[in-house]
Amino acid sequence: MTYPSVYPSGVTIYDPARCWNGYTVFQGKEVGALLIDMNGGEVQLWKELHGMPNRILPGGHLIGSTGERSTAFGSQDGIDLVQVDWDGNIVWRFNQYEFIEDPGEEPQWMARQHHDYQREGNPAGYYAPGLEPLTDRGKTMILSHKNVKNPAICDKPLLDDTIIEVAWEGDVLWEWVCSEHFEELGFREDAKNLLFRNPNWLKSGGGAGDWMHINSMSLLGPNRWFDAGDGRFHPDNIIWCARESNITAIVEKRTGRIVWRLGPNYDETAELRRLGWIIGQHHSHMIPRGLPGEGNILIFDNGGWAGYGSPNPGSPTGFRNALRDYSRVLEIDPVSLKVIWQYTPVEAGLPFPVDANRFYSPFISSAQRLPNGNTLITEGSGGRIIEVTAGHEIVWEYISPYWGKMMKINMIYRAYRLPYAWVPQVETPQERAIERIDVTRFRVPGAAPGGARRVVNVAGVLPYRPDAALCVRTDVGDDTSKQA
Amino acid sequence: MSFTLFTAAGCMRCNIAKKFMREKNVAFQEHDAVGEGKERFGQFYRTHRSIVVRGKEGIEFPVLADGDLVRQGVAAVIAYLHSGTGLDGFIGRNELSKGWVGGINVSAGDPAAVNELAAVLGFVKKNGLKLQLDTDGRNASVLEHLLGLGLGNRVVMDLKGPQALYAIMVGRETDPVEIGRSMELTARFPEYRFETTVAPVQRPEGVPGNVSYLTPEEIAETASWLKEATGSHRQPYLLRFFNPQAHSDDRFRSVERLAPNALFRYRTAARKYQVLTEIEASSA
Repeated sequence: MTYPSVYPSGVTIYDPARCWNGYTVFQGKEVGALLIDMNGGEVQLWKELHGMPNRILPGGHLIGSTGERSTAFGSQDGIDLVQVDWDGNIVWRFNQYEFIEDPGEEPQWMARQHHDYQREGNPAGYYAPGLEPLTDRGKTMILSHKNVKNPAICDKPLLDDTIIEVAWEGDVLWEWVCSEHFEELGFREDAKNLLFRNPNWLKSGGGAGDWMHINSMSLLGPNRWFDAGDGRFHPDNIIWCARESNITAIVEKRTGRIVWRLGPNYDETAELRRLGWIIGQHHSHMIPRGLPGEGNILIFDNGGWAGYGSPNPGSPTGFRNALRDYSRVLEIDPVSLKVIWQYTPVEAGLPFPVDANRFYSPFISSAQRLPNGNTLITEGSGGRIIEVTAGHEIVWEYISPYWGKMMKINMIYRAYRLPYAWVPQVETPQERAIERIDVTRFRVPGAAPGGARRVVNVAGVLPYRPDAALCVRTDVGDDTSKQA
Repeated sequence: MSFTLFTAAGCMRCNIAKKFMREKNVAFQEHDAVGEGKERFGQFYRTHRSIVVRGKEGIEFPVLADGDLVRQGVAAVIAYLHSGTGLDGFIGRNELSKGWVGGINVSAGDPAAVNELAAVLGFVKKNGLKLQLDTDGRNASVLEHLLGLGLGNRVVMDLKGPQALYAIMVGRETDPVEIGRSMELTARFPEYRFETTVAPVQRPEGVPGNVSYLTPEEIAETASWLKEATGSHRQPYLLRFFNPQAHSDDRFRSVERLAPNALFRYRTAARKYQVLTEIEASSA
């Protein structure tokens, strides 16, 4: 994570011929919902409209939230979920999930939405041919919060994750409560023991354990697995992932049961061991039909710190006992668990592991498969969005220029690429290639140009070795059992 | 006359019943149903299987036998010893444990026996058990009397439905003013909640056999009534599923059970007037 103090923001790399060109929408830190073109031109800002995440719907509509509950009483509770038109008029709103009366605050209904939602018609929440979201009707699946008590998990209050289905008119039609499925989550005894003592305790609102922290939720949509008769992958079923537990799971819509699960343990089968420990992941979803890789699971495997289990030197209590200082984007076959495609520090061309942490976002972040096979990756903590080809070449890069005033970070929770046609209000922008700058020669004003003023030769020096030893091993493998 | 009392070693409720009997000089023969009297109780149980109830946590003791007449549970035993069958409407089957006594239906007994009821409940409470009272709104005067005496640690009011359907839902004449009064009294107990079972109703204007579930609009009316009667829009209010199989009336036994997600629309409707409305999890 060696960031220089000074570096450019906005678009820094752009190869129009190899990109899937369109608009990109994201929540600019403490700015609002921002729509940019491929050159980083700011097409429109929905000023201070929150969004976790923001999404554009066909017709130039945008989904977001008008605000968040005070963190004195809640954590990441969106007051509502709203759909606004191009001019910022609210055309749809949902807030009637829970009536909240926080001390000193105006009593009000709240959606308690956080991290995700999906509008009917568009299972994964981003563009896929023939799977457009409804804009003037339809149901919305919403990831929300609910405070519960469940002594089977912990004797303390829990901040639980729920998934609700809401009619266009605002009726809640279906609800799934995570804690009611505790026994289906596969926690081992050491994890259960720790969860009981420390369910990721938050102080807000008198205290509650954010024990799972589900951070994405989407529908599977039509897929080849279900077509072949595997009922676990029914198009209505819901996939989610939870950062604190390292779990990705699929919930059967009809029964609420968990019918497919990845994590919390990655050492129980040969397939899982090959996959490696997924840590604190975000945006686990099934690549929607019509896109390259359709039916596979795409995951931004953050690394960082997460999980419950046995103590180790990096986690004296076993809380957040899985640690890794780089990220991975994984495309996984959900049946064989084989990795079909990945973007890790190795594919990024970073010497592993010594420079691996230059591809690293320990929280937030996402990955979106694009119609030409590219993948839009939000490396969220550093405010970086990249579009990479199937061959791992970066063809577009954007660094957010919006550092928060209250929180000094230019983070991007999750960005989405969308077709130009979804925003008919403006002319399709001109696409101008941006040649990649040679950073070895790039200097800021006042800095001396590169190159030594004087070069002397020393007799007898050897050339640098291509296999030079460093203080740490640089070979990828770290399984000493194979060295015997 | 001598009663037979089946007890279990270490049973606090049995000790309370025995204490009452000793204070009242009631003669009885005690048998420890899990000790020396195990065989005797086994014989008794086989004979009275239809009367002695086995709950989730086993058989509740004490069990009192007076010839063929059997009473089970501390409140029922003491009520019988105190008033014979005079309190039978009020005291029913207890399904609570861990220090609580339930099955006390304020609405189902003879209000003229309120002092006897209070005496029984007072004895039970004085000896360390907590009382849950149930009401459907009838016998508001009894509820008020118990409230005045501090009897009732928790009240659960079964709010049957909107005013217009209340008598039909209860199965007899009711006074809306009295029902409203019970709502207001319920909200004055230390702990309480209101519940409505989304049940089928025989529509008064309908043809015979025209049975249909309460509608979301009718639940909204019920919630509105609750708000009006208690002056609050934030009462603890639970909507429950109707279980056709458990109903004694054939007209209702044949009704199809509501779908697991059906109560969400009812909750939305109720929350217009009672913002804390919740629904029970479906057991379907």
